[in-house]
Amino acid sequence: MSLVGLVECKTRNVDSIKRAIGEAFRLIDYPLPKAEKIVIKPNMCYYWDWSTGQTTDPVFVAALISLFREEISPNVKISIVESDASAMKCKYAFKYLGYEKLAKDCDVNLVNLSTVETEKATVKVMDEVFEFMVPKIIMDADLCVNVPKMKYMSFTKISAALKNIYGCNPYPKKFEYHSKLDDVIVALNKVMPFNLHVLDGLTVCGSKTLRLGLVMASQDPVALDAAAATVMSINPKSVAHLKLAEREGLGKIKFTAKGADFDYFRRRFPQKSLSEGAIAFGYRVACKLGLDKRLI
Amino acid sequence: MMVKKVNLGIIGLGHIGKIHLRNCLNLKSARIIAVADTSKKALNYAKELGIRRLFTDYHELLKQPNIDAVIISLPTHLHVNCAISAIEERKHILLEKPIAAKLEEGEKIVSVARKHDVKLMVGYPLRFSRKFIDIKRKIESGVLGDIQVAHAINIAAGPFTHQVESNVPSAVPEWWFNKDMTGGGALIDLGSHMINLTRWYFGEVRRVKAYFGYRFNFDFEDHAICIAQFESGTIAVINVGWFSQKTQVSIELYGTVDHTFGTHKSHSKVITAIQLILGKNHAFFIPYLNEVAYFVGCIRNDCQPSPSGEDALRDLKVIAEAYENPILF
Repeated sequence: MSLVGLVECKTRNVDSIKRAIGEAFRLIDYPLPKAEKIVIKPNMCYYWDWSTGQTTDPVFVAALISLFREEISPNVKISIVESDASAMKCKYAFKYLGYEKLAKDCDVNLVNLSTVETEKATVKVMDEVFEFMVPKIIMDADLCVNVPKMKYMSFTKISAALKNIYGCNPYPKKFEYHSKLDDVIVALNKVMPFNLHVLDGLTVCGSKTLRLGLVMASQDPVALDAAAATVMSINPKSVAHLKLAEREGLGKIKFTAKGADFDYFRRRFPQKSLSEGAIAFGYRVACKLGLDKRLI
Repeated sequence: MMVKKVNLGIIGLGHIGKIHLRNCLNLKSARIIAVADTSKKALNYAKELGIRRLFTDYHELLKQPNIDAVIISLPTHLHVNCAISAIEERKHILLEKPIAAKLEEGEKIVSVARKHDVKLMVGYPLRFSRKFIDIKRKIESGVLGDIQVAHAINIAAGPFTHQVESNVPSAVPEWWFNKDMTGGGALIDLGSHMINLTRWYFGEVRRVKAYFGYRFNFDFEDHAICIAQFESGTIAVINVGWFSQKTQVSIELYGTVDHTFGTHKSHSKVITAIQLILGKNHAFFIPYLNEVAYFVGCIRNDCQPSPSGEDALRDLKVIAEAYENPILF
């Protein structure tokens, strides 16, 4: 079973978050490795800033950078990566979400994966072969760190560590993958395995937005997502891409939680009600029928 | 005598253009002859709704002799050229707000429309919202006394509103990120609604100052708090922003006799869903329907529409003055 470290962090400042992340690493017995080049992949999802709980807080990333500079080397080269998506352009998202300011303050690079050098890679999931362009910056990094959020998502039930790597695919028209999202998420994680996953649960977006104050870390993205699903009161085994990821050897759904009281966060997480689930389902059906066009 | 139907063309099928299209299809007094947009996807949308004449170049639409009037819902920087082309083809115009990105462009539109005797109305749907019309009546009736202070709010996500069509999320159009094309940020976009509304209520603005906020680090403001003093003596605080996932469009009035509050909002999700399934209009957009019905009525009855181009130009002058008088902390 994989370890998942949980730490409570009540204050949104670099020092408090850095202490919480450091504690989470100790809980999962993760000594930071030697590295010259680090890639950090936060979750940037549309133009929703950190306060909505939808996107990774730049202060959280600043804390991570500060920790790496202290523990690995002050000269370590750090790149924050994201790619263009159907509705979001990196050049605007970096600015809007506060990452341009972060890059300036912390002397790190911002990289739009849709505009960098890539190499073709093929990967098999179940019986299907997928082909992706993999950004060279990810392949060349000594340490790849995934910094997801934890959210409900209508297509995949949850969005956390595994789903965040979907954003490393440089191809911008990501909606084209929606019909086989579970397979594509797993395929991308196979082709771009990240070393470390640190979940920003300081502010979360469930049925509403809430300051949850949770930091979770694991080397196993499947275990981290299983833990996140459990906090969100979703059975991890009911999440198709988690089951598939386990089958494909990306990690284990069964996990050992260490640190803060797991149930404390589960009780506080703003869970979706049955009626909200029904509305989401109804909306998906309406979209399939083309009724959403009436929304204009 | 039967008055003939007004033949309309729509230029620009973005978010607002699509609202106008659906509304026009519900009008008995008008028919849509043609639409123009550079996007094939947008034209397909119109085609699915039964529109037969589709143009990628609006000049072609303007050449159609049987079109009496056009609704222009293009990005702001394109208003001036399109409006002047339409006026030169003797088409009446319902032009989306703000009238233009720059004062001189707005002045040009107004003067050319006047010269060619073309009806020019600028789209301010709040003027056609039942709640805000009731407030206007209250002010005029005197039941509120003398309005000393007003607080107008228009806070939403603005261009950053997440929109999905057929499961595909829509990107924010590039022009929204270019101040030269928009003329500014939240103040010109949302503030123009509230400045027009407060001018309708209280008359002309004597002077105005504004605080501008830049939460999202762009070179245009994503929120603004405008303080306007009117010739009537009323002071209005106009609070606008693009920073919130929740939309609020409201006004509070504090008079010497009584206070009042009005808001423009959607029905509940359930009622909206039922209406949509029945093919009815989204409640939030009913003022847009009233607006276009009024515009069509003005053409049929040969009367000058309001808000006019001159009216919108005065709004733009207030906005320009606010940009020139920032409140700094």
